[in-house]
Amino acid sequence: MRKSFLWALVIGLILGVWATAEPIKLTFNTLFHEADAKAMEKIIEMFNEEYKGKIEVELIQGRWAQYYAELRLSVLAGTPPQIGICHTNKLVEMADYLTPLNASPVGDLIEMAGIDPAKYVDAAWAAGEIEGRHYLIPLDTHGWGLWYNKDIFAEVGLDPKKPPRTLAEFIDACERIKAAGYYAFHPAEDALPRKLRRAWYVFFWQMGGQLFDEDYIHATFNNPKGLLALQFLVDIFNDFGWNEPGSNGYNQFAAGKLGMLVAGNWFYGTAAKSGVNWGYAPMPNFFGTPYTWGNSHQLVIPLQPKGTPREVYLAAMEVIKFISEHSYIWTMYGGHITAYKPAAENTELLASEYWIRSGKWLNEMAQKGLVHYPINHPKGSELEHAIQAQIELAVNGVISPQEALAKAEEECNKILQGG
Amino acid sequence: MGLKGRGTIPAPFSKMRNRIGRFFYRHPGVEGFLFALPYMALWAVFLAWPVVYGIYISLFDWDPLRGSKFVGLANYLELFREPRFWNAVVNTFKFAGMTIPLILGLGFVFALMVWGWGRKRRGIVVVQASLFFPYLLNVSIVAIVWKWLLERDVGLFQHYLNSIFPSAPVFLTEPAWALPAIAVATAWWLAGYRMLVFQAGLEEIPVELFESAEIDGARPYHKLVHLILPLIKPSLLFALVLTTISAFRTFGQVLIMTEGGPGWASEVLALYLYRVGFDYFDIGKAAASGVVLLFLILVITLLGVRILGLKSELQ
Repeated sequence: MRKSFLWALVIGLILGVWATAEPIKLTFNTLFHEADAKAMEKIIEMFNEEYKGKIEVELIQGRWAQYYAELRLSVLAGTPPQIGICHTNKLVEMADYLTPLNASPVGDLIEMAGIDPAKYVDAAWAAGEIEGRHYLIPLDTHGWGLWYNKDIFAEVGLDPKKPPRTLAEFIDACERIKAAGYYAFHPAEDALPRKLRRAWYVFFWQMGGQLFDEDYIHATFNNPKGLLALQFLVDIFNDFGWNEPGSNGYNQFAAGKLGMLVAGNWFYGTAAKSGVNWGYAPMPNFFGTPYTWGNSHQLVIPLQPKGTPREVYLAAMEVIKFISEHSYIWTMYGGHITAYKPAAENTELLASEYWIRSGKWLNEMAQKGLVHYPINHPKGSELEHAIQAQIELAVNGVISPQEALAKAEEECNKILQGG
Repeated sequence: MGLKGRGTIPAPFSKMRNRIGRFFYRHPGVEGFLFALPYMALWAVFLAWPVVYGIYISLFDWDPLRGSKFVGLANYLELFREPRFWNAVVNTFKFAGMTIPLILGLGFVFALMVWGWGRKRRGIVVVQASLFFPYLLNVSIVAIVWKWLLERDVGLFQHYLNSIFPSAPVFLTEPAWALPAIAVATAWWLAGYRMLVFQAGLEEIPVELFESAEIDGARPYHKLVHLILPLIKPSLLFALVLTTISAFRTFGQVLIMTEGGPGWASEVLALYLYRVGFDYFDIGKAAASGVVLLFLILVITLLGVRILGLKSELQ
């Protein structure tokens, strides 16, 4: 009797030691690449160090193009990562594949993890909810701003400390830069179709335009505002002679041949290494309200297979909370503006070169509500493809802006009305 | 001694071996079937089953989370009503029309060059390796390299072209030039392997035939048309089938070089399928377009075989 008790004790101890020694293993799949991927790596390394023996996170990154397809398929296959990323505007497309954090199979994870919604930027937090179910924990706001070449500004008699703010100032700057033999302006990074579409969005939104009606039944962009916005975009590459169709603004700017470039905060690393004496400014006010295109990365728990232990959910939330609390690193090295208010006040971040040279301006746009999010609809990708195909043709001079908008409107209406 | 000892089979095994031998002798097909079985099992699991399952889900409004709904041929009808689908079909044919002759033509010219000169020159292996090298590259690398070459601002090819012809087209941003540019990149990539296929066919032709043709006064053109082409028909068939399939399935280079643009000018069927499936997640419709693509490849390949009169080679 005594002997068997001793055996049971020994086995129990071995099992106990084994159980406590084995950390909870989580997979975190992101769509980040380049600078932001490295920033996330830093944060996860810190987490793994701090939670050694308890929680271990494997970070998988870099597959941007197929990210959402992979996330969906992994859920269907029953092998989803425990943590993932979702753009705010993708929530309506992805909601079925995500765990509602306030109504998960093991309870209200937001409450259990002690996450305080008040500590996040209000708009970013609110964007994570559909019909009372909260799916997203905000990570950042990212978006476009104006990068300009200070040396070119000085050469053509513009003040390098005063980038253009109004349309008149902007046109004057472009004309001077053009006259000096440079490309004056590129409104859309590397001019990929989706970038041209975003540039058109910016002009259109600045005029107060809305792409669709409230119920997403009709496209509402084929009107004088939409046309003026598209004509302006087309003219930049054609009639104004500020640039040429098919040109890559990233390359032009890094080569010192471009005066002004509209690009995202992810351009910081390239700009810093380019040797160009650059400055950064908020999006100029071209047409009324100086909106810029932007989006928000949010942290999610993809839909887990039935029977996933409560500990796994809680561990995933622990990681999410940790990332939020350390998201000043995300901003400093990844360039995206943290959506976690206390992190935005981090002294190290506020003193960093990134923040001083560009981050604070993007933050200012975000704080003022000038970062406009893209289409938020279950068929968002299809609608965006329909629009960008026509925008690209108009910019390349294949069809007129009128034709482009009419065709895009027709295609969008078909998609929305299931025709 | 050891070897001799190993060669002796104990009586019961010997009997079994004889019995097995007799079985295979009486059923000659079984042995071949068993040899093919491992491959057939893999083929069934990884190729045949996905095709059958693809056809199956093309009949559904596929949504495994909320429950898929049988819709019959609705996905096909929706597809056929969509101008973008027909645009993709037309682009696929245009691309195949450009790329198949280009790849086969280049491959054949390379093969003739290597085969004809190879006997006389020592460094031909280097030439052969250089011509074959692009085939070793991944499609993404090929597409990125060509995209760079054709880039407006920093593209090497575009730069020199513009210095000679200032108003030369920017190939990847003009609807009329996007597909031909991708076809040229594809031909550069794939022609090397076809060269090897044709070269193997050329090596098979007995030298005596050329000698007697020369005695009869045949010129190079006559040798090509009446001797070489008829005798390399099996290689031609193999290269044609391979090239047709790859031309109709083209995806990676289009995605990377133009994303199907400008507009939809270079969106081919495989890219359309990918977008419908993985961007819009309309898997039923994507499966339907996959079935259409499969059907197209099948018909075109069989048509090619029939036109070339290669039935006997197939049999």
